[in-house]
Amino acid sequence: MKKYKYILLLIALPLFILQACKKEIGNLNSPTTDEFLENASKAELNNLVTGIESGMRTNLPMYLDVMGMIGREMYRFSGAEPRYTTELLGFGDATLDNNTFYLNNPWQSRYRVVKNCNLLIEAANNSTLLNDAEKKGYYGFAKTFKAYQLLINLNMTYDSIRIDVADPDNLGPLVTNPQALQDISDLLDEGLSDFSGAEITFALTSGFSSAFAALPDLNDQAGMVKVNRALAARVYAYRAQWDNVLTALNESFFGLQLPLSYGISHVFTTGAGDQVNTAFFPPNQTGEVRLAHPSYVPDLQPNDDREGKTLQREEPASSNDLTSDRDVWVYTSQLAPIPIIKNEELILLYAEAKIQLGQFPDAVTALNRIRQEHGLTPYAGAITQNALVDEMLYNRRYSLFFEGHRWVDMRRYNRLSELPLDRPGDDVWVEFPVPLTELPGQ
Amino acid sequence: MRKFKGFLMPMLLALLCPVVLWAQVSVSGTILDSKNSPVTGASVRLRNSTIGTSTDATGRFSLNIPSNSGQLEISSVGFKSQTITLGTIEVANMSIKLEEDAGKLDEVVVTGLATNVKRRNLANAVATVSSKELAGTAPAQTLDAALNGKIPGAYINSNSGAPGGGISVRLRGVTSIFGNTQPLYVVDGVFIDNSSTPAGLNTVTQAAAAGNPANQDNPSNRISDIRPEDIESIEILKGASASAIYGSKAAAGVVIIATKRGKQGVTRFNISQDLGFVKPRKLLGARPLTEQRVIDQEWNVEEYRAAVAAGKIYDYEKEIYGETGFTRNTNFSMTGGSDKTTFYFSAAQKDEEGIVKYTGYRNSSLRLNVDHRITDNIKVGFTSNYINSSSDRSLTQNDNAGVTLGVALSSTPSFTELHPNSVGEYPDNRYAASNPIQTRDLVTNNEKVNRFIFGINLDAILYKSPKSVTRVVGRGGVDYYGLKTNAQFPSTLQFQEVAKGTSIQGFANNLNTNYIISLVNNWNPSDNLGLTTSLGMTQEKHEFDNLLNTATQVISGQTNVDQAGALTPVQFRTKNKDDGFFIQEEATLHDAITLTGGVRFDKSTNNGDPDKYYAYPKASVSWNLSRLGLGENNLFDNLKVRAAYGEAGNFPAYGSKFTAFIINNIDGLPGSIVDRIRGNAAIEPERQTEFEAGLDFTILNNRLSVEFSWYNKVVKDFLLQRTVPPSSGFALEWVNAGDLRNRGIEIGLNALVISKPNVKWNTTVNFWKNRSEVTKLVIPPTVLGAFGNTLGTFRIEEGASATQIVGIDEGSGGLAVKLGDQEPDFQMNFWNEVNFFKNFTLRFLIHWKQRGDNLNLTELLTDLGGTSHDYDDDKNANRIPDGIDRINQLGVTARPFVQEAGYVKLREIALYYNFKVGWKNIRGIRLGVSANNYAVHTDYKSYDPEVSNFGSGFSTGVEVMPYPSSKRATFHISVDF
Repeated sequence: MKKYKYILLLIALPLFILQACKKEIGNLNSPTTDEFLENASKAELNNLVTGIESGMRTNLPMYLDVMGMIGREMYRFSGAEPRYTTELLGFGDATLDNNTFYLNNPWQSRYRVVKNCNLLIEAANNSTLLNDAEKKGYYGFAKTFKAYQLLINLNMTYDSIRIDVADPDNLGPLVTNPQALQDISDLLDEGLSDFSGAEITFALTSGFSSAFAALPDLNDQAGMVKVNRALAARVYAYRAQWDNVLTALNESFFGLQLPLSYGISHVFTTGAGDQVNTAFFPPNQTGEVRLAHPSYVPDLQPNDDREGKTLQREEPASSNDLTSDRDVWVYTSQLAPIPIIKNEELILLYAEAKIQLGQFPDAVTALNRIRQEHGLTPYAGAITQNALVDEMLYNRRYSLFFEGHRWVDMRRYNRLSELPLDRPGDDVWVEFPVPLTELPGQ
Repeated sequence: MRKFKGFLMPMLLALLCPVVLWAQVSVSGTILDSKNSPVTGASVRLRNSTIGTSTDATGRFSLNIPSNSGQLEISSVGFKSQTITLGTIEVANMSIKLEEDAGKLDEVVVTGLATNVKRRNLANAVATVSSKELAGTAPAQTLDAALNGKIPGAYINSNSGAPGGGISVRLRGVTSIFGNTQPLYVVDGVFIDNSSTPAGLNTVTQAAAAGNPANQDNPSNRISDIRPEDIESIEILKGASASAIYGSKAAAGVVIIATKRGKQGVTRFNISQDLGFVKPRKLLGARPLTEQRVIDQEWNVEEYRAAVAAGKIYDYEKEIYGETGFTRNTNFSMTGGSDKTTFYFSAAQKDEEGIVKYTGYRNSSLRLNVDHRITDNIKVGFTSNYINSSSDRSLTQNDNAGVTLGVALSSTPSFTELHPNSVGEYPDNRYAASNPIQTRDLVTNNEKVNRFIFGINLDAILYKSPKSVTRVVGRGGVDYYGLKTNAQFPSTLQFQEVAKGTSIQGFANNLNTNYIISLVNNWNPSDNLGLTTSLGMTQEKHEFDNLLNTATQVISGQTNVDQAGALTPVQFRTKNKDDGFFIQEEATLHDAITLTGGVRFDKSTNNGDPDKYYAYPKASVSWNLSRLGLGENNLFDNLKVRAAYGEAGNFPAYGSKFTAFIINNIDGLPGSIVDRIRGNAAIEPERQTEFEAGLDFTILNNRLSVEFSWYNKVVKDFLLQRTVPPSSGFALEWVNAGDLRNRGIEIGLNALVISKPNVKWNTTVNFWKNRSEVTKLVIPPTVLGAFGNTLGTFRIEEGASATQIVGIDEGSGGLAVKLGDQEPDFQMNFWNEVNFFKNFTLRFLIHWKQRGDNLNLTELLTDLGGTSHDYDDDKNANRIPDGIDRINQLGVTARPFVQEAGYVKLREIALYYNFKVGWKNIRGIRLGVSANNYAVHTDYKSYDPEVSNFGSGFSTGVEVMPYPSSKRATFHISVDF
């Protein structure tokens, strides 16, 4: 029996030695948030900036699809996904679902970027490796694009959004309009004040570079201010604060005579870990298609070159009693950029503010600038507020086609009932429901 | 390693110590079966002592015992044990006949990591599958498929009909939601990997882009690599009460596989050859078209008229899914050995075509199992297995790009031309995003595996006295495989216009190593008491490294990922190390009452706290009433009541404790964005507690045995990726979310119905049913596992079945209500073996699954595409075609998609003819024909009620355009010499 005890001991000894080693393997695949929040380096913070820029594109084509469908700009047909043509258009008794891909995916992707912005602020704040000017650069960038992402989600749900989301365990309330838009404005203003005296130590993509030799890039401190104010002008227009629209435009990259496409955009490459623009489909595809709404060409004024944003198909495509013979042709390759905000929109915001402020000649000048660029004769319609609003919305419809504006604009002007219904029983929705997963008790 | 050596060395030294024997009386004899053939390897043992031996190749044994008294116990696999009382009989040259063990009462069942017990004393309903049941009827393609319908308490579901497997095995209900739901597979002591590695097809199919981000690549799971023909027996521990000693790996049950071992004696050879074919089990059929229907569908009516005039109306479904695939399976085995060393060797190859052209499965395997007796006290065993498998699975299942065969077919009418022209150019499909004929012909989707499994068993007697024996038992090994996934989408494909050729190549390395070292002491203080103490330590390590390269803009005709304009690599690694130790005590009183108690302690680097030990206790009792003389009324040959309790765990998934940043680049700049899944630093393993009670009896002179079990299994703190408000920036978060209960009963009946010289009919009938309920949920109800409320989805909700299916319904106001349940009402199987006219054997297996719902979205897609075969029927006589009726339900109710998926399947049937031949070396020949799945009765409307778009996880039974299932017919010839 004595031997037996020895053997037991011999077994037990290594057993406890072996078990006593402390083992934490860590994450082998990627950095973790904890690592970045602990004295992040500039390189790490710059990764977060790039993550924000990159992440803004995730599910953006889907957002454009749903906004385009409900705004009756286009049709998205998908062999495997019937809900585009049913729920989004209110086919029969179908209604928008508050827990499905077309709402949840874009909404979550935007908030994911917001989270990255909040982590960037927190990480920059925790870092001892930066001076104040450098920190302000990160703060300004984070706040500006956080505001932009919140605005995109508010475009969907219109009257309900969560602004304060820094602490995932203690989220702020759902905020309704007009407070929500004001909060977004305020966030942009905070970003603006951060940019004053800031030093930009991060690189941005070619989407922030100027395509025009004579015009400056928008990726430095001055450029950041202009971008911030351009977005602010859009929000002021949504808030119908027309004087503020003009003030913001003045500090932005707006220029009545500047090229229409001057601005910033999301870019795409086929590089490793990058995304391509899936809002591009080759013409004449079948099965998976994006088609212009049948009203697109008939509603165009003669000679409007914006007809070129759609292409005649060899054969019409149909699905679920919807038919169109023109493909959407806005993004003409998988590397085509998607505008974030461009001078063409700023000119139209300028025109809109001027119309609303009763300064019609200035408005006509701006509208004619757009008309002329697209092969149209100068505006010859009535110089009344209603007529000019019609003209302004016409130009917004075609200049910003498939960029996610039509539905928002018609809603702002209480004109959703003017959107065409293609099938008996179809509906034009006013807003998306708040995702089920945001609701209390969910 | 040094530490390991440090403790092995003294142990080996201990082995060299002399062993004392007390030898006085010599006993010898021969063991024969009912046909007077010698039984080799039978165990002969003096009861309640450590003295024993086994018979040699001629069935002979000899043994020295202290005195001419006591009882000799003789046992052998497949035979009833026999006890011979010594003292009055002649002990030299005894001749002992063993009876076959129809009720399996004397089967030895492994109950500990190093100990076992006879079935008659077992406290759990451990299911066993013999090699005859597994592969002896109509062999299935893979091991997991071969288990289907054979295990009471299991819900086994084939994910699709794609060659190479892909099967979900759930034991006694759903035991986890986001954790591992699949049992642990242990082959000869080696914990083997059963994961599925996706091929990255999502880049092309976009399947995860819209409704459900889960992987929908339909990969096979790796247990399919093991050849059923090499398996001697399988034991299935169905829940924690039986599997607690496996600790935190065992919550989903444990499948213990023993492969064939060598037998002492002359070297024997066997060559078996199977030849057969597979055909689709069912095709849905094409919609008959008329001009009006073509016009209503807004299809091109001129094209239709031209096609009708030219007689070119096709049945594309049949063309794509309707091939007859040829199958062959060759197996060579060799076994033999001396009294010291025995071996089993097999070399085999299986090559099977699928029902879709260019698909198929090939598996080549080599196995060598060697057992060696170093001294009388030290035995070692080695198992080695090399496997090379390859499966071509084509492109099926859900997608959001219109590219899989099924999704493309669903909108393709029969009159459009998809066939290549004379120079081999495929026309674009005008009615879908892809031309399925072209996809079938040009797409490659291959999985290739090279796998090596090596196991070592060591069993050494350290100390031996007449009353006590102490052994050290070591088991362990290595399971390594390299897996390559290769998916090719040449630029000429209709859907590659943008990507201009895609090559996706994945390389995965998986390494599992584990060992169990235990000390086992058997002590028999008196004739009526036996005590077995075991104590030991375990370690399991797992390392997985997957590099997936996705190249687009591939240079024409090239497949290498560098021959491309764009390349995106993704690397994913996991690693964990789990340590444990255990202690177990088994007591046998009067060979009738068995008491077991034990506890295992486990820690894992996957836990929130990697240094915290979790304890998993177990206790059981079985009371064999007949052995205590209570069954003397002759009604019961054997009567046992039993109860067992145990706990087991399920570790959190690797990485679930971290919130990660994901790479997200743009324009050449490296970016990090926070992951959609929020980690939880406090994550803990799931804990399962199971109580099982049962009653087993054998009556009618052992011709009828009945096993009845009831269990209550509670999974505590089950792991869930809960949905969080997306405004938090996260979509999901790991939590220990609540408790879940499974209750069920299992009734097994085994009868020797006829036992005549010319006819012997053995039948087994099993009935099992399980009900689950989420008993506690600390988070709000969570939907998961399908495509949202409109199309039906699963919902985890307190007080409801864990597998309920919910969806919107008429009058539900857009809210989801319960529409069905994936869990079957009950299942039954009927296994029969009839031997007649001496040499004929007929075996068949019927499997009945009563109800249980699927989510059938295949029908929806064909309706929307206007191609359903019954689109124009009007069963409800409302003068609206049924297809349109069904479409009109979309967005109103999800009820049409929830479809009953019960079935009665004649899974296997086979007739064999065995004969002995007088030719020189040939000992016997076996001929046979078999069929699988030839008769199936089901009301389910799609290809097969067994289906899963999401693979083997929680949400089985969701159907989106699967690879259809097949039926098989095979001719067998097997020669022994």
